[in-house]
Amino acid sequence: MSHLLKLLTGPEDIGRSRWFWATFVAVCVFLFVYPFWLSEFEATNNAYYLLNVPIALGLALLWGYCGILSFGQVAYFGVAGYVYGIVAGNMIGNAAGPIVGSLCGLAMCALTAAIFGYFVFYGRVQNWIVPILTLVLSLLFETFLGQTAGYQWRVGIVQIGGYNGMTGIPAFQIGQFVVTGYSFYYYVLIIVVIGYLSLRILVNSQYGKVMLALREDPIRTELLGYDIRARQLVVFVIAAVLAGISGLLYVQWGNYITPSQVGLLQASLPVIWVAVGGRESLLAVLLSTCALNWLNYTLSSEGYQYALIIIGALLVAVMLFFPDGIIVTLARELPKRGWRALVGLHKGKAG
Amino acid sequence: MTDPILRTEGLTKNFGGVVATNDVSISVPRGELRCIIGPNGAGKSTLFSLLCGMHRADAGRVLLKGEDVTRLLAFRRVRRGIGLTFQTNRAFHRLSVRQNLNAVLQIMRADRPADADERYRFALDWFGLDPDSEMLAKELPHHRLQWLEIAMVLAAGPDVILLDEPTAGMSSDETLQTGTVLKHLNSSGLTIVVVEHDVAFVRDVAQRITVMHQGRVFAEGTVDEITGHADVRRIYLGQA
Repeated sequence: MSHLLKLLTGPEDIGRSRWFWATFVAVCVFLFVYPFWLSEFEATNNAYYLLNVPIALGLALLWGYCGILSFGQVAYFGVAGYVYGIVAGNMIGNAAGPIVGSLCGLAMCALTAAIFGYFVFYGRVQNWIVPILTLVLSLLFETFLGQTAGYQWRVGIVQIGGYNGMTGIPAFQIGQFVVTGYSFYYYVLIIVVIGYLSLRILVNSQYGKVMLALREDPIRTELLGYDIRARQLVVFVIAAVLAGISGLLYVQWGNYITPSQVGLLQASLPVIWVAVGGRESLLAVLLSTCALNWLNYTLSSEGYQYALIIIGALLVAVMLFFPDGIIVTLARELPKRGWRALVGLHKGKAG
Repeated sequence: MTDPILRTEGLTKNFGGVVATNDVSISVPRGELRCIIGPNGAGKSTLFSLLCGMHRADAGRVLLKGEDVTRLLAFRRVRRGIGLTFQTNRAFHRLSVRQNLNAVLQIMRADRPADADERYRFALDWFGLDPDSEMLAKELPHHRLQWLEIAMVLAAGPDVILLDEPTAGMSSDETLQTGTVLKHLNSSGLTIVVVEHDVAFVRDVAQRITVMHQGRVFAEGTVDEITGHADVRRIYLGQA
């Protein structure tokens, strides 16, 4: 237990002090309590801001901690969503359907990532080829799904639905208890908190220390005795399963999924969430993902047509002025330079 | 005669049309401190990359502790007891000293040298490296960065280490200290093979010297034999 606590409070993420953990607990308590003041609709919207956190944390783990940029995490988001829809849809009326569907969705994510990752990492594909290959996989999946509009494209009683998407996907349920509304918010919140804490333990473990080495120099890492291919593959599969968790939550939230969820636009969003907060910190990515999803949702729901352009512009600004991400840069520089850190951070970095 | 811990037989490597190493056969007995010298382009670094598995040989064999490791990947050779530092320092510059040292695999193999941990701690002491330091490696002075990479290799508990120009860019005092540490590690039984240009350093530490020229082993012998070798003086030491 003390070993786990030591790993949890280890140095490989922002926030180690007692103050940080006191604030963390206070925020968690607040997040558990404040839906009492919200309508069920608002609680469900808040769940939406949170449900993309797992895919973003997975990308942070893969890119920020292990040095492998994947531009196609949404492929696994889609695999989990569609497989869940097919399995749970075919088991409709059976209380175990959503749980079986969820497990099948995540298993299929892991299998797809393991097969794809095997060829990538055991083929020693490195650097900028990996994001291109991952994006290609995602776009292939989107293209395939797009042509599944005909009646012949059904699995059991579930229509895949082409670009109209798969609709009527069952909500998650445990026994006879259907997780929706307020309970869905708590379900997502618990997954996000457990996911974040688990990943903190992982990055502070010996495995995490090797991930950092891999990020910095794979050849040097191999010459310290590590099978870097296997290490990269394992992290890739973990990230894919996390993306799959987001995919599951998404279809359980909205009860539908369309091929555009695995398209180019959606593929770019996790990269933006991770880059804006700072890819080398799980906490930064958690915060930026929630904030940017809130911003995007708020702008879109108020009829503002250019929400994604604003998000894209934010990415460009961050890359220019905070190449390590806003939150990570501030966390590093504020203790050293105070609020002057906000001025000319990029100049300081370049020097 | 002591059994060779590291041996090559007819090791050959071509890069395109360029023959980097040509039929190189060397034998390093267990516990020896061997220096490999030669002009630039002689094939010294290529030989190291073939020994540790970064490159595959076109022909020939590499034997580590009597086992043919020619087809083994680099990480498997490391796990069998070989360690390497690069010509260009490849400690993890963006990570702290602590992170660099923590990243090393603590190989728990049956034949891990009993005093591997002692050697590692000795090196840390002499190099003045704090294993808990949060200082970024890139902020270390050059010589400490070189020492950090040597300490990382020692942390894995190797039987033989290959050091590619470990004193490059060091002052004479730092070079002297590096030599002192290497000699002590060697006296504790660690086999060390060093590629080096600094002749004074080589004279100080080497038990035997292998001279490479144009991808081949040109000469081999004790320090006195090599420094007295007329052809070696001509091609490498620059003396008539």
